[in-house]
Amino acid sequence: MIERWALISGLKGDLDTYELIQKDLKKTPGNITLFVLGDMIGPEKNCNKLLHRLINPKSNDLQPWCIYGWWEEQILLESGYRGNQRAEALRINKGEEVVKSLINAVDKSFLDWIAALQFGFVELDCGLIHGSSKDVGDDLTLDTPPLTLLDRLTRLQVNRLFTARSTQQFHLELTEGILNSEVHDLTGNHKKEQKVPQKAVIGVGAGKNYTLYDVGTDNTQFVRAGYQSEKKKNGFGLHF
Amino acid sequence: MSQTWIISGPPGCGKTSWILNTFKNHSGNCGYVRLGGYSEINLEQAINSKIDFAFLKDQIPNLLDLSSSKLPLEVEKENILIIIEFPQFFIPKFQGISGIDLRVIKELEIYNLQPNKYLHFGRDLELPIKDTLDFKAIESCSIDLKKNIWDPASLNTFWFELVNGAYGDVYRAKALMNLPDGRYILFNWILTQKGSQYQTLNQVAPLNGRPERHSEIVIQGKNLNFQLIKSTINNCLLSDAVLEHHQATLRNSQLQTSRN
Amino acid sequence: MNQAVISCLHANLPAVEAVLKDIELQGITNITCLGDLVGYGPQPNEVIELIKEKKIATCQGCWDEDVVDGLDACDCSYPSQIAERRGHFAHQWTTEKLTKENKDFLANLPYSIRKDKCLFVHGSPNSQHEYLLPDMDAFAALERVENAKAEILFCGHTHQPYIRELANGSIAVKVKNSGSKDIQKKEMNLPMRRIVNAGSVGEPRHGGTKATYVVYNDITNDVKIREVEYDIELTCKAIINAGLPPIFAWRLKNGFEFAERAEDASHVCER
Repeated sequence: MIERWALISGLKGDLDTYELIQKDLKKTPGNITLFVLGDMIGPEKNCNKLLHRLINPKSNDLQPWCIYGWWEEQILLESGYRGNQRAEALRINKGEEVVKSLINAVDKSFLDWIAALQFGFVELDCGLIHGSSKDVGDDLTLDTPPLTLLDRLTRLQVNRLFTARSTQQFHLELTEGILNSEVHDLTGNHKKEQKVPQKAVIGVGAGKNYTLYDVGTDNTQFVRAGYQSEKKKNGFGLHF
Repeated sequence: MSQTWIISGPPGCGKTSWILNTFKNHSGNCGYVRLGGYSEINLEQAINSKIDFAFLKDQIPNLLDLSSSKLPLEVEKENILIIIEFPQFFIPKFQGISGIDLRVIKELEIYNLQPNKYLHFGRDLELPIKDTLDFKAIESCSIDLKKNIWDPASLNTFWFELVNGAYGDVYRAKALMNLPDGRYILFNWILTQKGSQYQTLNQVAPLNGRPERHSEIVIQGKNLNFQLIKSTINNCLLSDAVLEHHQATLRNSQLQTSRN
Repeated sequence: MNQAVISCLHANLPAVEAVLKDIELQGITNITCLGDLVGYGPQPNEVIELIKEKKIATCQGCWDEDVVDGLDACDCSYPSQIAERRGHFAHQWTTEKLTKENKDFLANLPYSIRKDKCLFVHGSPNSQHEYLLPDMDAFAALERVENAKAEILFCGHTHQPYIRELANGSIAVKVKNSGSKDIQKKEMNLPMRRIVNAGSVGEPRHGGTKATYVVYNDITNDVKIREVEYDIELTCKAIINAGLPPIFAWRLKNGFEFAERAEDASHVCER
């Protein structure tokens, strides 16, 4: 049976969208593993119902495998889970009101569960992470310099990096490249030619926009929840 | 037909390796006993270490331990090869069996063993001539490390420092160490050989607490700073909390692998 | 014009004096120091005062940061538990010995110094604790220089001196996004960049006992690694007399500092 990963992020407390995605995935052929790449919470909506559902999936739900994202990091910072640090970046950029809204959007009883979430998963030769291996807030997009993308792939020692922070859906493949390195030290000169390995960075999207990844064929399909049936008609799902 | 051999030689001459190969080439049962040897003036024998037996038993699981005065059962005696390992600095005065130190003969009575062959490294050509140092003075130190687990990188640093003389002039160092991932590693170093030999043994401990198996380091040399050796080793060993952290990480990674 | 770059002095006064003398003998007056004035060695105040007296432009090293801010470095910066324990002991000793004025001096050092196309840092532009080892992934190394908007990156921290030239690079990418059905192909040439590691004056880890530093000519772009002999016995005696771990003296004397060097080039503290 085809093995597929469904990669979602940026639900920000939106249980309706989550249910829509679950419904979509039930119709999607193959053996599907569902990864939630962070930002399950946000300041706009009460997130308790979604969190409860993620922790206690319904019997016919696909089991969600969750990691923490930028918004989870902010609530953990503000709630004292990161030592003396607080969510200062959020406070400066969005203001005190947003900090309060975030705190109010999540019942304290969920904080331990959030704090126990992992930074990322490494599955096969793929890294699944909210931002990047450098930082949960690392905003990788199509416009990020390839050198930076390569660095993030190298740090995690993976060939595919699935990222969610930018909220964009994209598939950027490093196809070719070369770099000559010459090191001179006290033992002499050492020359090396390094080639760009075949690696890719995939932006999985956010909210209703999510990504299906076919593990066997390495194909990425960008999907919008609720449009599965229209996908075939309009060709919205993009294969790469 | 059963055979009982005595093998002696100075530290690091290759006794245990030779015994392992001999056992491997023997088709019948194998039994082993190690005697502690006798210290001479300025030449201190290592405390009768259990490292050699633990290593041989790992490589030959059916090996009979005869050190607890237990004789082999009648059925085991058939075609058995018993080897008695015995550290001795000097070449025996007389050839063959008559060269055996009388104290050894006496000691073997406890085990009810009567050797029919005696070989000494550096004397008998039947044995390889590897490292038979002419020792003039030697000190010895043995530290029991049972239930202790090393931080792997610290072990690397300590061993480097040890064999390069940070704690005195080491002639010989031998150890069986536990690592947090369950590995059981034999470290072996002798002055005249190039580099250390490392061998991962077959036994793997579960990722749950501290293994009960034998673990020890034996060091022989001169001007050894035992206190500094002990305090450095203590700084290389993992506390319960750190060990649990290591093992939990390893257990989780195994779980994750199995999920895939 | 020639300029000297020194790093990782580690409170080793005889080594610092010998290196400054060597620089002076070459008629070089422009000196930049990449930090780690203190740590491990027995003369932290003396070394800081010498740097102040000579008015040497200095950026803050990881040890300089830690003795001021408390042990802030992640423990994974140490290659082993034993290195960490010895490091913590040396940290405590140094903190107790440093005068308030010298702590203030370390606290006010900048993270980096920029001079035209050159950027001077202790570890990497990302962190004082990141090691840029000579064999790290070439693309990742180039990314450090390029993201820092420099042409030459001077660093220390590894205690191994080297000059690394990254040249003739290119990358091709294939891009697809959800808004378009087309696959775009892009190819870009990478700029030539250099990383120069100044090694260590006070605690060399290149396998020898000599202090190392580099001389850079900003007209010819030429970089030379210099090795300088100094009175190691004097430093070793001072280590023992100060009550610091004797193993520090043993390593220094035998050129065995490399035994404790970090192996993970790409590691960045996540704290």
